[in-house]
Amino acid sequence: MGAFDPLITYEKGTYIETDTGNKVSRKAVVTGAQNIILGGKSVIQTGAILRGDLQRAQAGHHVVISMGRYCLVGEGTVIRPPGKMYKGAFTFYPVKISDFVHIGPNCIVEAAQIGGGVEIGEGSIIFSSVSGSSAKGVMIRGKFVIIKDLAVIRPGTVIPEATVVPSMSIWEGNPGRIVGTLPETYQDTVEARCKSIYQRFRAVTST
Amino acid sequence: MADTTVLYHCPHLDPPHGPLPPELLSSSASLHALPELYFCEECDAVRCNLCVGVEVASYFCPSCLFDVPSANVRADKNRCARSCFSCPQCSSSLQVQAADPPTGEVSSSSGTGPFLLICPGCKWSSREVGWEFEKSSGLAQQLARVHSAAEVVQSEFDSLKDHLETYLTASAPTPAPTSRTRHPTRHISHLTQMAAKALHREIPGMAAASARTRGGRNAVKSAEDRVGWDEMKEYEAKGRCAGLEVDKAVELEELREGEWAGAVAGIEQTWAKSWDGDRRTKALLPQRIPLQTKLTKRCPAPTCRHLLIQPDSKSTRMKIKMVAANYLPAVEIGRRRRRIVPGDASEVPAEDVERRRRERRKTRGAKEEDEVMTDPLRPGEVYYFQLALTNPLYDPIQIRLTHAHAKSSAHTIQNDNAVIHIVTPHFTINALKDAWAYDEEEDEEEADFEGTEASEEATGSIATGSGTGSGTVGRKGARMSLLAGGSVRDNGKERRDGVERKGNVSKVGVEVEVSPQARGLIEFDIEVRYTYRSDEGEEKADEDVGVKDASGAGAGAQGGAEGYKTFTFWVRVNAGKVEPVLVK
Ligand SMILES: [Zn+2]
Ligand SMILES: [Zn+2]
Ligand SMILES: [Zn+2]
Ligand SMILES: [Zn+2]
Repeated sequence: MGAFDPLITYEKGTYIETDTGNKVSRKAVVTGAQNIILGGKSVIQTGAILRGDLQRAQAGHHVVISMGRYCLVGEGTVIRPPGKMYKGAFTFYPVKISDFVHIGPNCIVEAAQIGGGVEIGEGSIIFSSVSGSSAKGVMIRGKFVIIKDLAVIRPGTVIPEATVVPSMSIWEGNPGRIVGTLPETYQDTVEARCKSIYQRFRAVTST
Repeated sequence: MADTTVLYHCPHLDPPHGPLPPELLSSSASLHALPELYFCEECDAVRCNLCVGVEVASYFCPSCLFDVPSANVRADKNRCARSCFSCPQCSSSLQVQAADPPTGEVSSSSGTGPFLLICPGCKWSSREVGWEFEKSSGLAQQLARVHSAAEVVQSEFDSLKDHLETYLTASAPTPAPTSRTRHPTRHISHLTQMAAKALHREIPGMAAASARTRGGRNAVKSAEDRVGWDEMKEYEAKGRCAGLEVDKAVELEELREGEWAGAVAGIEQTWAKSWDGDRRTKALLPQRIPLQTKLTKRCPAPTCRHLLIQPDSKSTRMKIKMVAANYLPAVEIGRRRRRIVPGDASEVPAEDVERRRRERRKTRGAKEEDEVMTDPLRPGEVYYFQLALTNPLYDPIQIRLTHAHAKSSAHTIQNDNAVIHIVTPHFTINALKDAWAYDEEEDEEEADFEGTEASEEATGSIATGSGTGSGTVGRKGARMSLLAGGSVRDNGKERRDGVERKGNVSKVGVEVEVSPQARGLIEFDIEVRYTYRSDEGEEKADEDVGVKDASGAGAGAQGGAEGYKTFTFWVRVNAGKVEPVLVK
């Protein structure tokens, strides 16, 4: 599959390539880089924002965002750790993203966990902690979204807080709901596609 | 802009045959994308979701992911019996929260009761329908204890079920366990008969119609049929819906006076609920979340029934996964180019398609321009596409492409919309290499990609050179850069075997001449025959060679002596949509 897929090019020097093959745009906003782990062969595109600085309230070093191999964070997408009140203090919790996770452009992702082989379409919003007010004016902060292995979030979907996205499900709409089941071949398809995209992501020298 | 697609045909349980032509809309029903198809090795046949036998392997709740034992599913009415409810307004999963959160901190399990269900999507609260819970777990059970309003309905349902069940068990014929194969059982057909009888009784028009047919053709038999009609006793309802009518009156009154917008529940909110329920939006109750299933899929052939899909209830892995993508080459369409004729070198109008093609090849100065696949096609233009076939097997395979509805020429498809010519009907595809081999190659990939670009440039120059350039003759493993759509003259002989190879992918050309009056989609069906080395015995191979010779795939397996097999499948290629050019 993908015999006609074209190269995805970027101008040489606009991306930093790490020892493990990650390609991070120089125009991506990566804060708290020491708290972010990229598994290798992952791509962080131009304008993406990774908030590694939003770490746990407790002192010490904490991993904030961990990402597996062959992941992609699209242009303008924001990944920030989910947070909530715990024992009277507000604290952030780490985001765990497995292998073969592609997040399209202009998404907002605050999920606690994204399993392997998950595609999140352009402009989707994965809430974790939407602030709201109860009748008493108390801030409500909820549980975190968990996306299990192998799932597709179609473009423009809004997943409310505390939602669990089960394996092999397709989600769409605002608020998002299950609209379909993935074919049994999906794991092979998504892994091949993620590898292919990484391999086609090439630097070119402009003339 | 319509995307181009290649769909595979499943003949279901019929002997292998091509689809009905694309002009017939009904043909689309048995066409599927390759990743959605299964393959039965026993039957050597493609299977699809419409024809496979499906059994439920396990049930789970999509919200709490609890695996529900199948013994409980019926009693739980196929819904989560723990604490999972969907929002009556927006269908999101409701969340349990303490009604009076302590210190600005809310989480489902902490805090003391009472608890509410809150929608994280639209902020709906179960307070609106008066639902409060003592504990934060087992809400469904708590609810069943407290809200017994449905008891009347439930007892009515139970007694009706009892009534029917005694009848069913008394009159059901004993199923005959003669063979292991599962045909639609007599039991089921008996049920169907009963349903039919019931229908005839209930619907006056139906009864009259059936009486007519009976009287006319088969009067004697109908008399026999009639025996046993009244075995089932009349069912006496226990209660009456008189009480409900009072509620309805209140409901109606409110609806009459209230604001319409939002006051009446929309079709989406009531779709899966009882028709008799309260129509007011504010009266809608949360529903327990319906369970989902993991499915086991079997070959539908009555003599086969082999497992095609067996999921693992604990993980996303499949214990058995017989999918067509591992057996059939993947077919894709791409690299569209439009033929540009310089000046007003208009085509020689000829009735004969072949002659027109030959004329086209002779035209000097014609070239092709790359186009975006999703742009509309224009009537009267000639396009060149590439078909890419990817080999999923660890052995090289041979391909033969022909027109699926062959009438005159096997390689030219002509319909109302276009004339489609398969430029390279016979070719080979290299073997798939193991994953580790590809990983090692990753570094070479870079060179490969540059190579492709270079070869594309080369083909471009051949095209402008009006078909006189010398094509690269492909040795095995060497990448060929022969222009797919163009022809190359070699010692006065025409060679049209342009194949572009890379790894386990071969690309060949297809020429599409869109007719001037074309409308809608350019679709055509191709029969793909592939020959591969088989591990099976010699005697089978002889058979296959015979078949091959008969169908004229001669060039196919020369080494046919040692176990070659052929498999045929059909694909429908959608090359794009025709939109006329607007004339000013
Ligand atoms: Zn089928
Ligand atoms: Zn079978
Ligand atoms: Zn549940
Ligand atoms: Zn809601």
